Amino acid sequence: MASVLNITSVVKRTLLLNLILVVFPLAGFAQDIPRTADGTPFLQGIWQAQTRAAYNLEDHVARQDMQAGLSVVAGGTIPYQPHALAQRENNFANRAELDPLNKCYLPGVPRIMAMPWPFQIFQTEEHVAIAFEWTQVFRLIYTAGQEHLYPGFEFWMGDSRARWEGDTLVVTVSDLNDRTWLDAAGNFHSAAATITERYTLIDENTIQYQATIEDPEVYTEPWTIAFPLVRQTEMKRLLEYQCQAEVEEANGDFERVDNLWHPAPIPQDNIPFDADAGAELPLPAVISAIERHADGTPDISGYYMADAGGANYGLEVRENLAMFPPARGVVVDPADGVLPYQDWAREEQLERREAWRGYDDPTAHCFVAGIPRSHYVPSPFYILQPPGYVVIFHERMSYRVIPLDGRDHLPDSVRLWMGDAVGHWQDDTLVVESSNYNGKAWLNELGDVISHAQTVVETYTPVSDSQIIYRATVSDPIPYMRPWTIEMPFNQQQEELLEVACLEDNNDLGHLKDVRDEHRAQMQQEN
Amino acid sequence: MKFNCLLAIIALLSANSTLAHHSFSAEFDIDKPVSLSGKVTRMQWSNPHGWVYIDVENDDGSVTNWALETSAANNLIRRGWKRDHLVAGTVIQVQGFQARNGSSTANIRGIVLEDGTRLFSGNADELTK
Repeated sequence: MASVLNITSVVKRTLLLNLILVVFPLAGFAQDIPRTADGTPFLQGIWQAQTRAAYNLEDHVARQDMQAGLSVVAGGTIPYQPHALAQRENNFANRAELDPLNKCYLPGVPRIMAMPWPFQIFQTEEHVAIAFEWTQVFRLIYTAGQEHLYPGFEFWMGDSRARWEGDTLVVTVSDLNDRTWLDAAGNFHSAAATITERYTLIDENTIQYQATIEDPEVYTEPWTIAFPLVRQTEMKRLLEYQCQAEVEEANGDFERVDNLWHPAPIPQDNIPFDADAGAELPLPAVISAIERHADGTPDISGYYMADAGGANYGLEVRENLAMFPPARGVVVDPADGVLPYQDWAREEQLERREAWRGYDDPTAHCFVAGIPRSHYVPSPFYILQPPGYVVIFHERMSYRVIPLDGRDHLPDSVRLWMGDAVGHWQDDTLVVESSNYNGKAWLNELGDVISHAQTVVETYTPVSDSQIIYRATVSDPIPYMRPWTIEMPFNQQQEELLEVACLEDNNDLGHLKDVRDEHRAQMQQEN
Repeated sequence: MKFNCLLAIIALLSANSTLAHHSFSAEFDIDKPVSLSGKVTRMQWSNPHGWVYIDVENDDGSVTNWALETSAANNLIRRGWKRDHLVAGTVIQVQGFQARNGSSTANIRGIVLEDGTRLFSGNADELTK
């Protein structure tokens, strides 16, 4: 009797399963997934692929620094054309030298989705954005049918346009270049590749990820990979892994600066820092009506360029200096526009103008620009306002996640290029307080000095539907005697964020190193 | 003559223009101005700088391939440059400043085609205004 009941139960369950699959062919069992108010699946959160596909998409045995794994390719193997298979074998044999990821180059899609690093998805009505912990790479995916303004140019991460098909986000990635690989085993594509990704929340903490790769120059037919993305429920925020910076710090190409990098102490001979000396500046006046979200908070989302007046070449007002262009001067406190340097820090700033110091600017190495420089490097940036956050994506391939939940800062021992930011709305002004910097950034090409001890209070005040007045008050008791504030407008434009791959074609750094090395050799000779 | 005047104006206008990613004066020497004419061998649409490579015939008849640094490819794209601009074989004239290390590398701010069309590479500072 018991066995009959069990059989009946199994049949019932099977029938139920079939019914669900018929009724919800795309959603599967996704009844309890997070959704937005209009019912769209809500992908926002911190995720990481649960797969070994980053090593090799196909079945593979273990090798040095490579875990064994089973194929994630439907059907088991990639349908290469014969000539392409030969290239894959050559890639594999020479992977240590040829793998673009070993040079810290942008990984491309879908490779970056499978890498063993967490990433954070943000979602608004018009975008899904993915911020990766690995080297601050991001993908800004357009989901509202926005026009692609610059088709035909190639990008390492491609151009991503998406639409919702039922509960699945379908992303078409095109305009890829042919310089990325699909994994660490030499699987590759050409610039003719189109990737179609499918993101389906199958339960609260799992996205089923699928990507179909079409490339008539390399494969005999389209083929598909699939693996789960798992919500990192224990992670409250991403940290940083700056690939090339870590490589260059390890091999000595980017040299430590003991008196500015964490955990440099405040020099004993410093004039004591007057933390209260900063002026109370009235908030900028609103020019015309600003845009607002349904809940009344200002809508500051969009594409911006800073009207920085040459801040990337000096924060203080300055006439033309050799080939440095003049600077308008963006320092509004102190009132004289002069940065309140300690004497030794001013000497350092002046020395950084010398040609042989050009190599020391981290942005010359293609490292991220830090705060506040990322706003005026100058490159455009895109502000998104997903639920609970303001996120700023800098075209120079970095981003800044600003949570609005009033959380505590990271422990003092954790230090980041872009710092740890926490924001809140004060009336119509976004106030962002940040700390936990590593002190490795420069404030501009002229060499204005900043250290790990910097804390920054920034205000983003929308003064019309197309302009934000930005202020940053920097308190840094190592190179400065008191806090100082810069101010500049950010102008919104109808534009599209592109991609800046930097170190991938950085022909300049070698020249700068030549100049530095020649100077050092000369100094040695003179001594 | 007209052509040379135009190039001089471009050079003057651009002397204050700037790069977005490294110190101009650290890499290039304002005391080493160069004026070059040659055939494009390759255009590299890259960031943070684009690169135009041209073959320049020297006085002794030999040919040197010069690497000419432009503004970021993204700036060029937003200024309307197209992929079919500067295909291999295009004859161009440029003025710029040579790299301090003496290599056949120069930073340029504008390009003049044979028919007089001017392609400005733009500069990052301008985009911030």
